[in-house]
Amino acid sequence: MSLPGHTKCRTEYIRPKTALLRKIRGSRSRALPDRALVNCQYSSATFSTGERKRRPHGDRKSCEMGLQLRQTFEAAILTQLHPRSQIDIYVQPLRGVVSLQVLQADGGTYAACVNAATLAVLDAGIPMRDFVCACSAGFVDGTALADLSHVEEAAGGPQLALALLPASGQIALLEMDARLHEDHLEWVLEAAAQAARDVHTLLDRVVRQHVHEASILLGD
Amino acid sequence: MAAGFKTVEPLEYYRRFLKENCRPDGRELGEFRTTTVNIGSISTADGSALVKLGNTTVICGVKAEFAVPPTDAPDKGYVVPNVDLPPLCSSRFRSGPPGEEAQVASQFIADVIENSQIIQKEDLCISSGKLAWVLYCDLICLDYDGNILDACTFALLAALKNVQLPEVSINEETSLAEVNLKKKSFLNIRTHPVATSFAVFDDTLLIVDPTGEEERLATGTLTVVMDEEGRLSCLHKPGGSGLTGAKLQDCMSRAVTRHKEVKTLMDEVIKSMKPK
Repeated sequence: MSLPGHTKCRTEYIRPKTALLRKIRGSRSRALPDRALVNCQYSSATFSTGERKRRPHGDRKSCEMGLQLRQTFEAAILTQLHPRSQIDIYVQPLRGVVSLQVLQADGGTYAACVNAATLAVLDAGIPMRDFVCACSAGFVDGTALADLSHVEEAAGGPQLALALLPASGQIALLEMDARLHEDHLEWVLEAAAQAARDVHTLLDRVVRQHVHEASILLGD
Repeated sequence: MAAGFKTVEPLEYYRRFLKENCRPDGRELGEFRTTTVNIGSISTADGSALVKLGNTTVICGVKAEFAVPPTDAPDKGYVVPNVDLPPLCSSRFRSGPPGEEAQVASQFIADVIENSQIIQKEDLCISSGKLAWVLYCDLICLDYDGNILDACTFALLAALKNVQLPEVSINEETSLAEVNLKKKSFLNIRTHPVATSFAVFDDTLLIVDPTGEEERLATGTLTVVMDEEGRLSCLHKPGGSGLTGAKLQDCMSRAVTRHKEVKTLMDEVIKSMKPK
């Protein structure tokens, strides 16, 4: 029996505009002697949600998102190559979901943040093990769906956020909420993984094109 | 060779260019960087605009909410600007509470709104003493390469032109506000203030639209805000080297020309937008 997986490659439903990276050399009180410290900060623009957010920094959701991003990227960045340094990743979504509920589903935000941050880390020239590609997935009406839109998230079914290192197929981060029968987990996971691999193809193409253009400009 | 000289003696490097009346990026002393504007891209905001002045990128999002008008002005609404310079736009900013530069910029924008009367606050009143609109204008800098004030003013103006407010009526019986989302109207923008910033070099030379590097090497800055009838809305000269009256007049005439350029650009963009 095979369940059809709908892979909706909706590019930029939520659009984190810039994930920027800085490498700070020099001593910090928390500097680690053998590897780099990865620090991620997530702050949404006050106009990015349906109701104006009054505290864009330091609130629980932003902290949680920052922590998840940090854990994802610690798995991917080759931190041993830069001891006693700090890598800062700042993500700022400008347009988000229009949320009518207090508890806002944010699997889609996480995926968009990870994909944007991957490109930013590559742009900064920080060595990574592999791309990190993420996608959300859910289970609605007996079908596994990838890249959930807001309406689908609001339907209240189980949702999964997956961050994948495509070359090795290793999962960097997996988060799921709501109840899902274990028989269905495989399909949902496969839908998310397939969508993440599609994102990887896109990111790979974009990076190669960019490098190609940059090398032409440098006159190689 | 040139890169080495630039690192060791940045001011001398710049002076060499200024002597030939041009700048390292090829511009003349009175020339602005390429300005691009994108209006209405953020669908979750009531009005939005993205402005790029060379590399400097500022996005403005306007959100409208209800509030009770102030007791001393019961028929006025509020316009609340806020400029955010997050660490992602430049390595000179740290995360945490707004730094000095962000606060100065926020105050500058508030002054521009107040002085130039872009919007009559009376237009924002729905029911005198009971209900009024408050427009939160949040400006976020995404990339800092100098001349943040010009970019912010332009972004604010473009975003306000994009704002559409729904019609609100107060139900007589329940005295609750009823919002009609189907009927939306644009704000009445009365004036179009445009800012022009200058940097002063070596106490004598004035250059227009400084980049981040130029701002760091400058000995003073000046920002002039003009509206379409040649009226001065705001003059911001925070210390720095002194300027003669004649130089100030030159700056004002440049500001007038800049106003025409910006207004043409904005009208073009608004005309090209498909009506919703």
